[in-house]
Amino acid sequence: MPVQLVAPDWSLLVPPLVVLGTILVLLAADLVLPRERQAGLTVVALLGLAVSLVSLLAIDWTAGASTFGGMYRADSFSLFVSLVALVAGILSILVSAGYVESGIEPGGMALAEYLSLLLFSVLGTMLVGAAGDLLMIFLGIEMSSLAVYALTAFARRRLTSIEGALKYFLLGAFATAIFLYGIAWVYGLTGSIMLDDIAGALRDIVQGDAPVEASLLLALLLLAVGLGFKVAAVPFHMWTPDAYQGAPTPVSAYMSVVPKVAGFAAMARVLVQGLSPLSEQWLLLIAILAFITMVYGNVVAIAQRDVKRMLGYSSIGHTGYMLAGLAAFTSLQPGDRSVGSMLFYLFAYAFMNIGAFGVVAWLQERGQGVDLEDFQGLAARSPLAAIAMTIFMLSLMGMPPLIGFYAKYYVILALIEAGLLWLAVAIVIMSAVSAFFYLRVVAVMYFNEPAGAWQPARTPLLGAGLAVMALGNLALGLFSGPVLDLAQRWALAFA
Amino acid sequence: MSELTTAHFLFLSAALFIIGMVGVLTRRNVLIIFMCVELMLNAVNVTFIGFAWEQNALTGQIFALFVIAVAAAEAVIGLGIVMALSRRLDTVDIDEVRQLRE
Repeated sequence: MPVQLVAPDWSLLVPPLVVLGTILVLLAADLVLPRERQAGLTVVALLGLAVSLVSLLAIDWTAGASTFGGMYRADSFSLFVSLVALVAGILSILVSAGYVESGIEPGGMALAEYLSLLLFSVLGTMLVGAAGDLLMIFLGIEMSSLAVYALTAFARRRLTSIEGALKYFLLGAFATAIFLYGIAWVYGLTGSIMLDDIAGALRDIVQGDAPVEASLLLALLLLAVGLGFKVAAVPFHMWTPDAYQGAPTPVSAYMSVVPKVAGFAAMARVLVQGLSPLSEQWLLLIAILAFITMVYGNVVAIAQRDVKRMLGYSSIGHTGYMLAGLAAFTSLQPGDRSVGSMLFYLFAYAFMNIGAFGVVAWLQERGQGVDLEDFQGLAARSPLAAIAMTIFMLSLMGMPPLIGFYAKYYVILALIEAGLLWLAVAIVIMSAVSAFFYLRVVAVMYFNEPAGAWQPARTPLLGAGLAVMALGNLALGLFSGPVLDLAQRWALAFA
Repeated sequence: MSELTTAHFLFLSAALFIIGMVGVLTRRNVLIIFMCVELMLNAVNVTFIGFAWEQNALTGQIFALFVIAVAAAEAVIGLGIVMALSRRLDTVDIDEVRQLRE
């Protein structure tokens, strides 16, 4: 059989290639520049991500073009995933700017390695979004999570950092194996790893009223469990609080968003694009996972004193809301809001949660700890930081007109249209429960007296990042329309 | 002598996968847990090869090669973390690593 080699269309790959180029520059600079002269690399990384963000504009995403034999798709879904990954990457680098070089972590952290690992993870997430087959999804997820395992352990002289990384790594590798076993079974039963071909083969298999084969259900379950670990859905969440608490604070900020984006992008690609003929089987599973995840995350967060750990549990709760968006899936018609509401939630979450972790990092750079007590009297010491944290907390809680409210609102809208009223009610109740621990932080900042020593520090990039995110929560909330429209184009990509 | 069928591959891989999974869930030594994960990944490879053999197509074999490559990368990160741990704590028992508590 003659093999035809078709030259790939490199122009579609410009955004990820720019990120890759930036990584190579960072690694090369690490070899040439001595440690103390590397401070400028933060700007290099920010520029690289910004250029990649701008280069998204150069591609016609509505055409739904693909290259590398369909493995890489430049469609409206991959556009939005790349957008979220790049924006979250930029915000995370702003948050980590002063932290990495400061002496907060014993032994310091190597800036060039830190930035290149972070960019590798962004790159992997972009590739998951653009994946056209299961191999790309697997490689993208692994690229995004392997880098984050290393980042979690980046404060390697602090035992808690290593412990968090160890748990994250062991459970992550375990989940990867389960996910892969599911892929292998899907490949065996449908004869393909291309998502569109899988959907086609499944439509033939599940035709009529005949019960679905047990092996197919097993494959579906394996895929759902594997991805459930990646997005930290209950009962596969055990690593989350430890990893968030142990990791250096900017890494916690980063990993609460970007690897989650990768996980949810993979879920949408695999379940909605590839396994949509089986949607009757997985929809209920996702709805139940969403429910227990949001209840568990929000209820357990109440008991936390460590703010990073509290945000870890709260992120489990938000995973539940995002899963609920996915559970609202009804059909691949353009009017379906489910996946779009999930994508918008991820976008909103980047602004809320990276901001909240950013304020924690801001306090740490001023010699404070990460407990609730360390927030005492923040309003008296720095009104601006207190206002920023208040905005992030209210947004996470879902207070209008902040972006967090609209994110929940669109998910609830999608749920009502899909007829899942009970899940919509659960979101409202859980938002009320979450007010308890989010508002407690606000109350401590405003109503308690300052305590403990306070070291002055200059953190211009972090301050700028917090300002951007605080304003973003307000502005993108009030003018959420264009972003939502972009997110709602997902159905064009999968049809 | 019976003929080799796909079922042989699938039973072997399912057995390996379950052994690995039980190992991950019951063992307390980090290195053994890690070896069990590797066992699960190789069970996946056997499944891929079995299905590729059945379908007379290369996709499954290529996938298995990628899995091997990623498993190697994963081993580097994992062993790096275990090294850092044993330097700090002088143990590789997962139950003794429990500083993070609420």
